[in-house]
Amino acid sequence: MTRADVIIVGGGIMGCSIAYHLARRGMRRVVVLERSHIASGATGRCGAGVRMQWGTKPNCLVMKESIRILEGLEQELSYPHGIGFKQKGYLFLAHSKAQLIQFQKNVQLQNSLGIPSEIVSPKDMKRIAPLLDTTGVVGGSYCSKDGHCDPFHTTRAYALAATRLGATLLQYTELQSVTKSAEGTFKLTTSAGEIEAPVLVNAAGAWSGYVASMLGVNLPVYSERHQILVTEQVERVLDPMIISLHEGLYCQQTPDGSFIMGLGDPNEPKGLDQGHSWQFLFAVSKKISRLLPDITGVRILRQWSGLYNMSPDRQAVLGAVDDVPGLYVACGFSGHGFMMAPAVSESMADIILGNTPRVAIDVYGLDRFKNGNLFYEPAVV
Amino acid sequence: MFRTELAVVGAGPAGLSAALAASECGVDTLIVDNGSTPGGQLVKQTHKFFGSKAEHAGTRGIHIARLLAGELQRSPQVEYWSESTALGYYEDQVLLVEREGRAHAVHCDALVVATGAAERHMVFPGNDLPGVYGAGAVQTLMNVHGVKPGERVLIVGAGNIGLIVSYQLLQAGVRVAAVVEASRYIGGYAVHASKLRRLSVPILTSHTVKEAHGHEQVERATVWQIDETFTGVPGTEIEFEVDVICLAVGLSPVTDLLCQIGCKMKYVPELGGYVPIRNENMQTTRSEVFVAGDASGVEEGSSAMLTGRLAGYAAAAYLGKCPDFQNKRAECQRALDALRAGPSGQKVRAGLSVVVSMEAGTC
Amino acid sequence: MRIERHPILTFTKGAKVQFYFEGEPLEGYEGEPIAAALHAAGIRCLRHSPVRNRPRGFFCAIGNCSSCLMVVDGVPNVRVCVEKLRAGMDVRRQKGKGDLNVSD
Repeated sequence: MTRADVIIVGGGIMGCSIAYHLARRGMRRVVVLERSHIASGATGRCGAGVRMQWGTKPNCLVMKESIRILEGLEQELSYPHGIGFKQKGYLFLAHSKAQLIQFQKNVQLQNSLGIPSEIVSPKDMKRIAPLLDTTGVVGGSYCSKDGHCDPFHTTRAYALAATRLGATLLQYTELQSVTKSAEGTFKLTTSAGEIEAPVLVNAAGAWSGYVASMLGVNLPVYSERHQILVTEQVERVLDPMIISLHEGLYCQQTPDGSFIMGLGDPNEPKGLDQGHSWQFLFAVSKKISRLLPDITGVRILRQWSGLYNMSPDRQAVLGAVDDVPGLYVACGFSGHGFMMAPAVSESMADIILGNTPRVAIDVYGLDRFKNGNLFYEPAVV
Repeated sequence: MFRTELAVVGAGPAGLSAALAASECGVDTLIVDNGSTPGGQLVKQTHKFFGSKAEHAGTRGIHIARLLAGELQRSPQVEYWSESTALGYYEDQVLLVEREGRAHAVHCDALVVATGAAERHMVFPGNDLPGVYGAGAVQTLMNVHGVKPGERVLIVGAGNIGLIVSYQLLQAGVRVAAVVEASRYIGGYAVHASKLRRLSVPILTSHTVKEAHGHEQVERATVWQIDETFTGVPGTEIEFEVDVICLAVGLSPVTDLLCQIGCKMKYVPELGGYVPIRNENMQTTRSEVFVAGDASGVEEGSSAMLTGRLAGYAAAAYLGKCPDFQNKRAECQRALDALRAGPSGQKVRAGLSVVVSMEAGTC
Repeated sequence: MRIERHPILTFTKGAKVQFYFEGEPLEGYEGEPIAAALHAAGIRCLRHSPVRNRPRGFFCAIGNCSSCLMVVDGVPNVRVCVEKLRAGMDVRRQKGKGDLNVSD
């Protein structure tokens, strides 16, 4: 039996960054369990966007801090390969007056929190993204400090920094069962043997509900499939991420020159299916050639899917699980875990160690489902 | 949506044989291929094939391609789409095909993947210079399009492909400076090697390319001797004034489509790389998906035709349309066993022993 | 660089047509791959690589490897080893990743 101070289940961005912050705060025996390789789940399958334009105050504050951290993360983690962080902006399209009014409210909130977003006219939008066909677009919101970050490099940067500080990363190691002993320690059976620790962090993404159920905990989350595709590379022609909540579509040209795009489709299956469909290719091609007609001839290279771990209010579920002392959870990100990880992981580490976090995350606590304090996030694709 | 009982990806020797075998059993078949004429790599093989009469031994590859294409034309149940690329295969048994700049959804009840093999590259400084060409590319350029690849060529690899291409270059009026081979022995048949020697082409065993030189294209190559650990021996360098370095250093199965489908794969060096686990009927771990030819493991044209025919019959049997399957299967297997017999088939036999498995489905 | 006489093969060619390479007129046969026509005219460097600006030619000649990407009639990333030659084509060496043809 191996003994650890904390075991983190899940080697995505969340597990690796929490491990880094715990190790940096002096926790000695930090173990990350990952069934496959790091970033193999939703992290490595996401759209790689990072933005501060949110519709609820806690998300705005978390993301403002995340982007501040990302600006200096290569230095902080001494990662020489680059994390691909590029601030080329996010452009939300409003297709109706009602939507524009919602954006105005969001921008007002964002500005009040020091986020430099703005309402833009279709004419401004043509200037920001000349490729955009603004037919039917009444306006939008834009923040030049939003952008793109490479999920693989960022996760690897956290994982390497954590291991340099003494954390242990167990890849290709599957959690088989977990029990809690009378003395209060968690005993985990894995494909590589048994490990025990007094603290367990559930950062298993789409599988977090399943991991919690091993301890008899019922998390109010479920997973759903989202599809995505990437094209061949061409020289840069599109700066911002384009988001149309109306079409359920997002598209951005990544720093390597390829276009990455996805759809929010309510008919996608719920559960753990990570397959993909040919219908998605037709649907997304049709929509994107209306919005960005010039990229119609660009060839599609690959498609895949990833799993959003959804919560009832489309907000993360973070913090201690009151019924099981020593158990913590960071899940339910509803498609935004990658971008929120830099700030959330730091706060999670502080909460686990009993410190007061710089960015408060108590509103994301599990107790909100008991108290009825849900706070619905409108700006989700 | 286009519907077919059987879709075959690839119109090389394996794919054509599979389509012909299936249609012989009365299966409606669509064959999709990214080339503009049927035959795959046969269309550039000007040499005569070995093997048995049933696999057209003694006939040149280009003529086998014509024979198979003729049979294809006479088979009303086979539809052939040229210049069409299979993009992916989905869980609802839809094969997505790019044709004339559009994506077409093709629903099929069974699928044969006969995507062939791709040429390997090799690591040395300057290996990306224009003029460093695959042996297949050299053949395509001169035997299909009638264009000389260069004036003077260095061949890397003395397996059958390296030796045959050297001879074909001489036929096309191109000079061959030398054939270099990393191993201590010539891998190809002695009959090909002695033909070259008679034409004064040196074959240097235990030698490899050290570096390619040139500004905008290959102008010169440095070759050196290598020891038992395949390490270059300083002081043994030889310079060749060549404008083409032709790499005949082996092939890898093209299995992208099989991987995308989710067929269980295994890395088998003897078969050239990742190949799908399958049963004795070429059926993969996905029951409606069959594999044939070099995509199932690199061998040569004759075995590609046989595994293709076997896969075609097996797919027909899977669709309930090959009552005589056991006999047809045994016939194909006997011919394959004969091709793979002896010392030259030892590597392939070793590879097959680990990849043909009952893990795959049964017909 | 064309093979004039061959002991085994005869080559059937399309009509002789004019096309443009870097703006200069060249001749080739209709329907042959653009790369074959260029090669016959002694042109082997087809593009320059995005990061280190290295010269690149074709490698596989059957559309698999993407070493031969050129700009053809304004469209980048065209595999000229399989793209068929037509009269009047405007063929250019691709520098880097290729510029998307954007309407004004």
